[in-house]
Amino acid sequence: MRKSVFTRGQSGNPDCDWQERISGFEIRGSQRKRANLLRFLRIPNPESRTPVVLFAVIALLASSALGAAPKPTLKSVGQKVYCTCGCVTTLEHCPHPPAECSRRAEMEALVLKDIDAGKDEQAILQDFVDRYGVPVLAAPPAKGFDLTAWILPGVGLIVGLVVVIVIVRRMRRPSAETAETPASSIDPKVLAAVEEEMKTAGLGTGK
Amino acid sequence: MNQVGSVALIGALEFAIFGTIAGAVAGKMRSMRVLKSAERAALAFWVMTAVAVASLEYMIFTDDFHNAYVAAHSNRDLWGLYKVSVLWSGQEGSLLFWTFLLAGYGGFAVLLNGKKNRQLMPWVVSITMAVGVFFSSLVFFIANPFGELSMVAANGAITPFRAADGNGLNPLLQYHSMVIHPPMLYLGYVGFVVPFAFAMSALITKQLGDNWIRATRRWTMTPWMFLGVGILLGGQWAYAVLGWGGYWGWDPVENASFLPWLAGTAFLHSVMIQEKRGMLKVWNVVLVITTFFLCIFGTFLTRSGVVQSVHAFAESNIGPYFAVFLGIILIFSITLLFLRLDYLKSENKLDSVISRESGFLFNNWVLLAMVFAVLWGTIFPVISKAVENVTVTVGPPFFNKVAVPIGLILLFLTGAGPLLAWRKTSFQSLKRNFTMPLAVAVAVGAALFFFGMRDLYAWMTLFLCAFTATCIVTEFYKGARTRARMKGENPFLAVYNLTMMNTRRYGGYVIHLAMVFLFIGFAGLAFKSETKALVNEGDVIHLKDYMLRAESLTGGDDPNYTYVRAVFSITKNGHSIGSVHPERRLYKASQQPTSHVAIKPSLAEDLYVVLDGVDPDSNKAIIEVFVNPLVDWVWIGMTVLLFGSLLAMVPSRVEKEMAEIRKTKEELVEEKRVY
Repeated sequence: MRKSVFTRGQSGNPDCDWQERISGFEIRGSQRKRANLLRFLRIPNPESRTPVVLFAVIALLASSALGAAPKPTLKSVGQKVYCTCGCVTTLEHCPHPPAECSRRAEMEALVLKDIDAGKDEQAILQDFVDRYGVPVLAAPPAKGFDLTAWILPGVGLIVGLVVVIVIVRRMRRPSAETAETPASSIDPKVLAAVEEEMKTAGLGTGK
Repeated sequence: MNQVGSVALIGALEFAIFGTIAGAVAGKMRSMRVLKSAERAALAFWVMTAVAVASLEYMIFTDDFHNAYVAAHSNRDLWGLYKVSVLWSGQEGSLLFWTFLLAGYGGFAVLLNGKKNRQLMPWVVSITMAVGVFFSSLVFFIANPFGELSMVAANGAITPFRAADGNGLNPLLQYHSMVIHPPMLYLGYVGFVVPFAFAMSALITKQLGDNWIRATRRWTMTPWMFLGVGILLGGQWAYAVLGWGGYWGWDPVENASFLPWLAGTAFLHSVMIQEKRGMLKVWNVVLVITTFFLCIFGTFLTRSGVVQSVHAFAESNIGPYFAVFLGIILIFSITLLFLRLDYLKSENKLDSVISRESGFLFNNWVLLAMVFAVLWGTIFPVISKAVENVTVTVGPPFFNKVAVPIGLILLFLTGAGPLLAWRKTSFQSLKRNFTMPLAVAVAVGAALFFFGMRDLYAWMTLFLCAFTATCIVTEFYKGARTRARMKGENPFLAVYNLTMMNTRRYGGYVIHLAMVFLFIGFAGLAFKSETKALVNEGDVIHLKDYMLRAESLTGGDDPNYTYVRAVFSITKNGHSIGSVHPERRLYKASQQPTSHVAIKPSLAEDLYVVLDGVDPDSNKAIIEVFVNPLVDWVWIGMTVLLFGSLLAMVPSRVEKEMAEIRKTKEELVEEKRVY
């Protein structure tokens, strides 16, 4: 059974795991693991989670309440395909007006024709791929090798988070070698004597 | 003048080579005499590149079309100020300009460290000059702007040739911010050479305390500021010139400038942990290497033609040289880093996960994740081509999906980070600090929802902007209130004194506020409206609350271009708010048409009118009208970013006191050593 770092029961539904989802990560394991995590995070008591939970609840409610699938428009399709005139921008951003750019005019006419025919955005984009090939799409399709384009940024984000967590854990471990570092060319005894002297003179230690 | 320029380039190359060798010898032998010689070579390198730049500008201003570069990029009727920008409008000239700025940074580093950082300076000079050797070789041997036009006669004889007029400057570059935007970007790209040189120097000399970090703080802030402002000025240029109503298109060259800025931002934050706590020493070196690498990588991307871009220079053969140089940078710096790992051990440990230190770590995580995502998307077409032999395009839809969520996390940390205390933040202080910003954000979010905002990303952006802005204002308010109570100062004086007491901290907060303004501007993109129409005199266009009436459509002639100009009178909600005059220009020298966009700006929204030309069938003007909400906040953000960066570089009272204490400490250490 899935366990959360957050207490269940607020919703009264044992299957409700929204609190896990909105926290951005899921924790599996026993109560002991949960306690360890809380200790690791140095969260003194459960109330300290309130701002995080509150923030996450707002984000979740917003995500469920906002947004609707829009109908295709020249603009929405124009943002998703590249103009083939050589301007190296999306159809929407092509700096050449249709009166001077036959390619842009042709592509815009295709979009408008498809919209009039009642096609949805996916169908219009497929028409573009059929006519101009995959490079016309302003983003790689999420299949085959091109899927890595979409996945790797997320993987990078997660791997980065893991690395940060590992670094934080390591940095928290007491280390004996921190007492002296080869970087300092000053004898620690001299340094201690100077700091003592400065303290006596009321100059602080510079830290 | 071609000869003067060429001789100056040879001289520059020779001084750069001498400076590299002399700096290394001075470092190895610890010889002040040789160091002086190396430093003079660095200054001479600067003078020589200045002479080369002056020679080229002289030929541009005197219309010397005997020079191939001038003939290709300038023309007689080009307006004076734009003749300055001819210098960086082409591959050869811009590389020369790059080299000149590099020499300038090197020269300033020498002049400002005349008596400081003597152990580090030999290697700083050597490394800066080594980069100079690469660029001046490139300019002299591969992309020389002092080539002459020549003509091959029927009998095969080659004779010098002078063109009657030049091809002219790219019309898209004939805009006032284009005179400032490229130098700003270059000052950003090039400037990171100094922190990189200091870091490498610290590794070589094993002086890996926080000396090199302190010595390079302003050297890092300066290019970071120039790069940030340069990027935004580029956005302003795109907005005013390209005529599609936006300012950022995730073009590879735009991304190339964004990457070192992101890495530099991570570096500027993480150095604070090293200064305050003696931690993250390895990480800081890695970040400075990454930032410099990305600067050179960006230059490579712009100039090699490996990726298709709207901004890229013509395809040239300089790509392989840059690839080799990038390899050398990586191998040299990473090897050095590994050799010195023992000297980069942390002096302290982390006291708590909820602390300023870990806040910075998470900030670094998000910034680097953004670097990775943008870099990956930018080079993915090349990877896809190599792996599958299939060309794919990675454009705005990809970057918006990938980068926007990361950007929102970053915006949250921009506000939350400063609320965390160093070492450990107690739950009570967390609760105390977060309550007000969260309450304000919830109130703003609810109000936006109530008034009909349904775009998720825009809503979240403005929610987080409210949160972050409140966090920052609260920091100023709490500090000033305490000061006012303790010293009896009035609120304005208290804010001023508080800021001047610690300019770095409060300058940083001003920069965070600039980020809020920028994100407000970005949120506006979700609410753009636009329409397109064919109009004759007297016709009317309606868009949202605006009514535009076409008053006239006239043609005209300028020495540099011919134009068609439309004049529209505008009313908003029935009230007259003036007129706009969009133009369509045809530049005579290059025969290229461009739109001259007319913008009616306001804090709430811009009315943006583009004359796309005249329809040949109906003889009517083709007009595009956009209403772009909140765009001006981006330019406000740019100004505040500039102000905050400058403020953060002003020496603060705390800094002066700390410098005094450090000086006293060093003198005492010296005394104890003697006895």
